[in-house]
Amino acid sequence: MKKKLFLIFGPLVLAAVLLAVVLVTPFNFTKPDSEEIHEASLSQSNNIFKGTAVKKAAFEQNYVPFMGSSELSRMDAFHPASMALRYHRDYQPFLLGAAGSQSLTQFWGMQGVNNELKNKKVVFIISPQWFVKQGINPAAFSMYYSNLEAVTWLRQANNSKMDRYAAQRLLKIQKNHSDSFLKDCIEQIANGKKLSATQKTYLDLKYNQLTHEDQFFSTLSLKNRVKKIKKASKKLPAKEDNAELESLATKLGEKATTNNDFGISNKFWNRELKDKYKRLKGEQSNFDYVSSPEFGDFQLVLNQFAENNNDVLFIIPPVNEKWSNYTGLSKSMLRQFDKKVTYQLREQGFNNILDLSNDGGKPYFMQDTIHLGWHGWLTVDKSVKPFLDGKDKVNKNNNYKINNYFYSDQWQKAEGQELNNIIK
Amino acid sequence: MLNLQPYQNPTYFGYLAVALLPIMIGILYGRRFRWYETLVTLAFLVLTFGGDKWWQGLMLICYIIYEMILTFGYFNYRKKKNSGVIFVLAVILSILPLVIVKITPAIDAGKESIIGFLGISYLTFKTVGMIMEIRDGIIKELGLWETLHFLLFFPTISSGPIDRFRRFKKDYDAVPERDKYLSLLEKGVHYIFLGFLYKFLLAYFWGSYLLPIVRIHALGHGGISWWLVAYTYVYSMDLFFDFAGYSLFAVGTSYIMGYETPMNFNQPFKSKNIKDFWNRWHMTLSFWFRDYIYMRLVFFMMKNKLVKSRIAMANIGYLTLFLIMGFWHGVTWYYIVYGIFHACAIIINDAWLRFKKKHRKLIPSNKFTEYFATFLTFNVVCFSFLIFSGFLNELFFMNK
Repeated sequence: MKKKLFLIFGPLVLAAVLLAVVLVTPFNFTKPDSEEIHEASLSQSNNIFKGTAVKKAAFEQNYVPFMGSSELSRMDAFHPASMALRYHRDYQPFLLGAAGSQSLTQFWGMQGVNNELKNKKVVFIISPQWFVKQGINPAAFSMYYSNLEAVTWLRQANNSKMDRYAAQRLLKIQKNHSDSFLKDCIEQIANGKKLSATQKTYLDLKYNQLTHEDQFFSTLSLKNRVKKIKKASKKLPAKEDNAELESLATKLGEKATTNNDFGISNKFWNRELKDKYKRLKGEQSNFDYVSSPEFGDFQLVLNQFAENNNDVLFIIPPVNEKWSNYTGLSKSMLRQFDKKVTYQLREQGFNNILDLSNDGGKPYFMQDTIHLGWHGWLTVDKSVKPFLDGKDKVNKNNNYKINNYFYSDQWQKAEGQELNNIIK
Repeated sequence: MLNLQPYQNPTYFGYLAVALLPIMIGILYGRRFRWYETLVTLAFLVLTFGGDKWWQGLMLICYIIYEMILTFGYFNYRKKKNSGVIFVLAVILSILPLVIVKITPAIDAGKESIIGFLGISYLTFKTVGMIMEIRDGIIKELGLWETLHFLLFFPTISSGPIDRFRRFKKDYDAVPERDKYLSLLEKGVHYIFLGFLYKFLLAYFWGSYLLPIVRIHALGHGGISWWLVAYTYVYSMDLFFDFAGYSLFAVGTSYIMGYETPMNFNQPFKSKNIKDFWNRWHMTLSFWFRDYIYMRLVFFMMKNKLVKSRIAMANIGYLTLFLIMGFWHGVTWYYIVYGIFHACAIIINDAWLRFKKKHRKLIPSNKFTEYFATFLTFNVVCFSFLIFSGFLNELFFMNK
């Protein structure tokens, strides 16, 4: 009997022990090589976003986080990654975010790598479209959320407004937690309570396990955009010359937007709008980006930037003016949004803002309805280059003054006269 | 509160291993700790139907009380009398909850019935089977505990395999010999690990990785496209590995508990024809339909001389069987078409076999024709799964 039992369960027990050892020991097994990091930096893959191994390795090199959402995948010749490649800039963009990522996504994405982000420069693209009434869509959020982010955060979370608010938001948005133990921890932080010693030990072991899983698996099946960026950057003139770049942006934009009257790229038009644009006339007239829980989530991001002492360039892109005129998107609403978000930034000492909100009518500025393209990216580069290229990547002294008022419900919902009263 | 669906994640298997250990040791030393089995069953039921699923748990309890009253009531009645009307009434009453659960979404805009819970179909199959065997006089004794254990046997509660009462009772009453149990353990562990391969690697690859990609492209293209063809096969692979993986867990767990729950799949994609396929795919379900619907219907027609031709009788039997199976999957056009499709396939298959028998000399039979038959069957089956998936509904009627 013993022999037979050993034959049945021996391999099983051995495998379980080996697995436990591999996952729970605090040693690191693999480190991504530079090629992998480069591929990952352009992939916008959610495994990379949710993980920490590749991001950590990248931020130890000359990669700069470019946080945003779907505009980052508009990889034409003037895309930040293409410009950095072609002109041998001394920084490389690490694209963080894709369709569906918003402030809360970015806040949690930072949690695994806050140590590596300390005193770093960051480029952050704010989409007005995030600031809708319901805030972030829970399904989209869960695509970019991982237990690794939560565990890393929990291990140093304390009873600060930021941590409590983050925990509360997480409990509200992420209803299904795969690990009920973690959920209990998050609930405790949300209620301002301390974690127990058992919980801390559990988190330490869990941290090792998740880190190892991330090291092993996050770089599997990445979207390889290296060739795409190389090809795009080849279109740029060999020598960086402003006038030449401007005329090239016009030329490429012109060539790519021939089948519609809105200056939208042909590809996007055919895929998304051709069949339904007639129905969309006037359809956005009651869109509102002024009252939204996103302002509270955005405050989390700002709070984290302040904690990390990051030097951040914020970019506020416009919407395609021809298209928004057609769909009836309110201009005064957009102006209010702009006012509100810039107030939130400047009040707390985030003064490096590239506000493009008035440029949506410039020719070939947008690639489609809401995403930057040719001239848009080129304009972005005019701020990004002096911010990063050849410059010190370390932030010396920024005096951020975080104001918890911006977490309040009152601020999130403020619009119209109420907003004017707060701002003035 | 903690809630875990059967075989959902490593945590579940962790709990399972701990819970099964005393049972294993017991059986190895010739003992069944019945009270402990009851305790484990209860614990796992609470795990699956507790927490935020408590409503389902409550409905499960109500359902069980209802079916027990029905089964025992009929059993006591049957000891004295044997009226056909009462039998039919008992069967109708026992499937009534399932019928309500299946019809509600169709008439109430896709809303789930409030009396539903995970596994109601499989419990209904078990009770209806019992009532029929009580009528036949094969079930002569019926104990409360063994019936409860049979119905609520936790390894198979959510999705089968569908066991039979008499078979289950045999294992329930006996303790397997040590040698026999060791080989059950060996198989059980092997099945569970094969299940890991099927469910967590292969079904993940086909279903969670490939399927969404193929789906988006097929929807983006619209109508008939190569992506739709790809969808057909990717979905079929996912369906098989997901369900077969789950079934392996259920059978493996049963074996470790000393119950020889029947297997559900036997290399279905190797089938030489549709009939062969149904002897290999979701076997406990198709055998259930064969024994309790098809055979009984054919027998009924024969006894009452309703239909003369044997062929017509068989065909009516197939149509009834697969239509009911279609409705059981859900009251939507695609499940019903799926049923009719399989009925037609099996009727054509029978006709072909008869034709082949008559013209044996004219039709070649060799390795090539055998491979071709397997190939053809595989494709017919995959096409039927495309219907079953409901994707055509999404593609043609809900796209944009």
